[in-house]
Amino acid sequence: MAADVHNKSAPWEVQNGSLVPVERLRFDRSDSPTPGLVEGTEPGAGQERAMFVHAQSFEDLTAESEAQAEEKSEKDLVLEEPREEAKEDEGEEGRDEDAVKEEEESQRGVRAKEEDITSEAWRDHRKHVFVLSEAGKPIYSRYGTEEALSSTMGVMMALVSFVEAERNIIRSIHADGYRVVFLHKSPLVLVGVSKTAQSDRELTRELQYVYYQIVSLLTLTQLNHVFQHKQNYDLRRLLAGSEHLTDNLLRLLDRDPGLLLSAVMCLPLSSSARDVVSSSLQAAKAKSLVFSILIAGNRLVTLVRKKDQFLHHMDLHLLFNLVNSSSSFREGEGWTPVCLPKFNTAGFFHAHISYVEPASDLCLILVSTDREDFFNLSDCKRRFLERLRKRSAYQVLQEALRAPTYSVSQVGIPELRHFVYKSKSSGLYTSPELPVPYQSVEEQERLMGLYQSLHSCLHHPTRPLRSIYRCGEMENLFAWVTSGFELYLCFSPLGTKALAVSAVNKLLKWIRKEEDRLFILNPQTY
Amino acid sequence: MLMISPRMASGTQEKQYNPSLLNFFIYNPKFGPREGEEEKKILFYHPSEVEKNEKIRNVGLCEAIVQFTRTFCPTKPAKSLHTQKNRQFFHEPEENFWMVMVVRNPMIEKPNKDGKPPTVEYQEEEILDSVYGAVLQQCYSMYKLFNGTFNRAMEAGGVELLTQKLEKFFYRYLQTLHLQTCDLLDVFGGISFFPLDKMTYLKIQSFVNRVEESLSLVKYTAFLYNDQLIWSGLEQEDMRILYKYLTTSLFPRHSEPELAGRDSPLRPEVTGNLLHYGRFLTGPTNLKDPDAKFRFPRIFVNTEDSYEELHLIVYKAMSAAVCFMISASVELGREFCEQLDGLVGPQLTLLASDICEQYNINRRLSGPEKEPQFKFIYFNHMNLAEKSTIHMRKTVSVSLTSVHPDLMKILGDINCDFARVDEDEEIIVKAMTDYWVVGKKSDQRELYVILNQKNANLIEVNEEVKRLCATQFNNIFFLD
Repeated sequence: MAADVHNKSAPWEVQNGSLVPVERLRFDRSDSPTPGLVEGTEPGAGQERAMFVHAQSFEDLTAESEAQAEEKSEKDLVLEEPREEAKEDEGEEGRDEDAVKEEEESQRGVRAKEEDITSEAWRDHRKHVFVLSEAGKPIYSRYGTEEALSSTMGVMMALVSFVEAERNIIRSIHADGYRVVFLHKSPLVLVGVSKTAQSDRELTRELQYVYYQIVSLLTLTQLNHVFQHKQNYDLRRLLAGSEHLTDNLLRLLDRDPGLLLSAVMCLPLSSSARDVVSSSLQAAKAKSLVFSILIAGNRLVTLVRKKDQFLHHMDLHLLFNLVNSSSSFREGEGWTPVCLPKFNTAGFFHAHISYVEPASDLCLILVSTDREDFFNLSDCKRRFLERLRKRSAYQVLQEALRAPTYSVSQVGIPELRHFVYKSKSSGLYTSPELPVPYQSVEEQERLMGLYQSLHSCLHHPTRPLRSIYRCGEMENLFAWVTSGFELYLCFSPLGTKALAVSAVNKLLKWIRKEEDRLFILNPQTY
Repeated sequence: MLMISPRMASGTQEKQYNPSLLNFFIYNPKFGPREGEEEKKILFYHPSEVEKNEKIRNVGLCEAIVQFTRTFCPTKPAKSLHTQKNRQFFHEPEENFWMVMVVRNPMIEKPNKDGKPPTVEYQEEEILDSVYGAVLQQCYSMYKLFNGTFNRAMEAGGVELLTQKLEKFFYRYLQTLHLQTCDLLDVFGGISFFPLDKMTYLKIQSFVNRVEESLSLVKYTAFLYNDQLIWSGLEQEDMRILYKYLTTSLFPRHSEPELAGRDSPLRPEVTGNLLHYGRFLTGPTNLKDPDAKFRFPRIFVNTEDSYEELHLIVYKAMSAAVCFMISASVELGREFCEQLDGLVGPQLTLLASDICEQYNINRRLSGPEKEPQFKFIYFNHMNLAEKSTIHMRKTVSVSLTSVHPDLMKILGDINCDFARVDEDEEIIVKAMTDYWVVGKKSDQRELYVILNQKNANLIEVNEEVKRLCATQFNNIFFLD
């Protein structure tokens, strides 16, 4: 034993002598599986420029890049500044649509809020989320009423400020079986209490999503203004009726791999049909239009953007959440101000949201800079539909809507139950429908939890990994990151390591073959 | 205490600071319930020169954190608090007695130009909760081994006696905490067993029986060779902490002078006897010395039920060490020590050379040692058996590992993963440095392997680990 220890050439010796990890290695991901495959050429990579803000990884989600983003976008675009009276505009009267409000009211009724916060059932929730103001006033609680929790939230704020008084920052509290994570994003404080296996970083990222959800309703400018004006303002007055958006966002965070991977999934569609849809959308432009987005449920059909303007996937997820959280948009054309916080936290866009047909899943979101532009955009929609119907693409699109997912058996790998593949350069991902053992909500969230913990290990800030293989009693998992893609596979417990290795190659070939259908290869601009 | 290892980065000098102990305190919230009496709660505080109000504030924060977490789970309060600059670990070993250890995160100090103060960057992901949580629990176990429980001290002499004992013990003990070298082995707190053939094992057992028969005062015996345990009559938990004390504190204190060539046991003025190499590691250093002191350290075992206080006699001949434990109510003097020395010394000397011989034969039989392509740590929760080929030698001051600290932390991460679910699991990861790390958990046993085969694939790594299991642990089943 001692012999090899003193052998100078032993490969085990710490190479750089100091305790510091070799800096270079952190970013030096392994090359692609097939020779010559580099970033931008992995299956699913767009052929033109990416349509999203170039999001390499989830790390840049947490980066403090807002200030820069603001500067940059303000040069190009004049967004509507929230005015003094925006308060009344936004809060008291709500959206221009009465229907929205009604819908929200009814949704609110079904929230199981009136829980006894001293009860076992309340404590047993998998994940609590609390939002409070810096004065310690409750703004949001996922479970239980804010009133009942006001003293608990007071304690949370006290802990945050106590630690800050020592010129330090509180991050989290760990106990057996659960952890409490704190995020202070002035003027709000967000707290998560979770029994899941997620890391602090993952939970903090989820709290950031909640923070941006609130910003998207009010803009940061208005949020700051309100609290500068009156420190102990009750923000619930401004957010009344929007709780279900946060509720729904939290559900998505527990179940949708897109939010975890900072990526969006596309509706499978032949590339010729998608190109027709894109070009029809491209043709139906207006001066104030920045983004035209066609979605089907939580899948993207296509996205057309103004040249030089990029949509951050987080903003897109917030739009998805806005549309999917309320059915009122089905009843007619919606017109709502929305702040896209990763684009610009200071101003509102105005979104024209409408379903293509009342019974259809296809929803068109037209994002404009002009609040008076409703009729103009309504006309854009009409022009888009006209074009689409004239061409056979509409039929194909309707077909595709009937099969928005695919089964993993199409790949033809035995023991492979599920996978998630993200093309890094395009910010898009693909994943088959959940197979039988994961169809209940509990099992779905358990599988997501497994992916989350793999993701967290792969992207560890100081000791990232290239790959993980994890063999358990319920399933075997394999995760792999390269400079071009991220891949997560779930096998039955009968799957072997040899199978996993061959499955990766086979799956990458299959995705390459299907990439026309599964990804958007030709993103368009106006 | 700061360990500084400067590192050069683009011409400017950066300073890297290892994790270090900021505070260590023990309090009981019941002792000063009224306002203005908060200071009474504090039983021990390190460093003691901290200003009173700051002590009270820090204790107050801990109380608040513990109370706050009871909202979410009344029975499982907080175990650690993470902040940007430090981590605090909470442990309630006896009801209402809280021990808190505050460890500063490692940090990098980057100098700024124009005389501005340097920028400090805290590395918040470097400290593993499992490791330092275990270190804190060990602090209590070690205190209890030599002092008994907090409550016993309270019964015997009230708060005054307890604070005295705490002060006396922790003042010295905290100086021996080397936080920067703590790792997975602290989480296990295992015992390394000496591998032995049946014959030699039986010889040792009969030796122990003979001694216990002749010296009827002896209540418990433990036998170690080469710092590894062979036989113990103590309960597992008691042996675990005694083993820790022997191998990290007592043995290194006595073996280092030997290594340096001084105080050789052959010199008669030390041993007082040329017929054997036996000598006392606790108690009298020289039996011939007329002023020799016959005081042995007291230890407390079985504190849960019978609560025994014992004399700890550690006697060593060459690489063999024996612990004899005798009820503290018995007065031990010169006569007993001479009797023990005369009886045990020659036999133990003989036994030690037997073991050494046998060990060398076995080594030769197993063939020449090849440079292994892997390093591993093994731990068995049932018998606390631990084996590491990663750690070269653990002494009081240093634990030398032969792998990069980041790899050790990946082992720690995998261990945390295993601790979360109570089922058999296997995890194979490839680090950015292309090292492969394999963790296996099967029926209370854990095995961690680091492989240095950068170009191997998953299947080859799996084969390599299978071979390792077949040669080292052929009777243990691991999930495949």
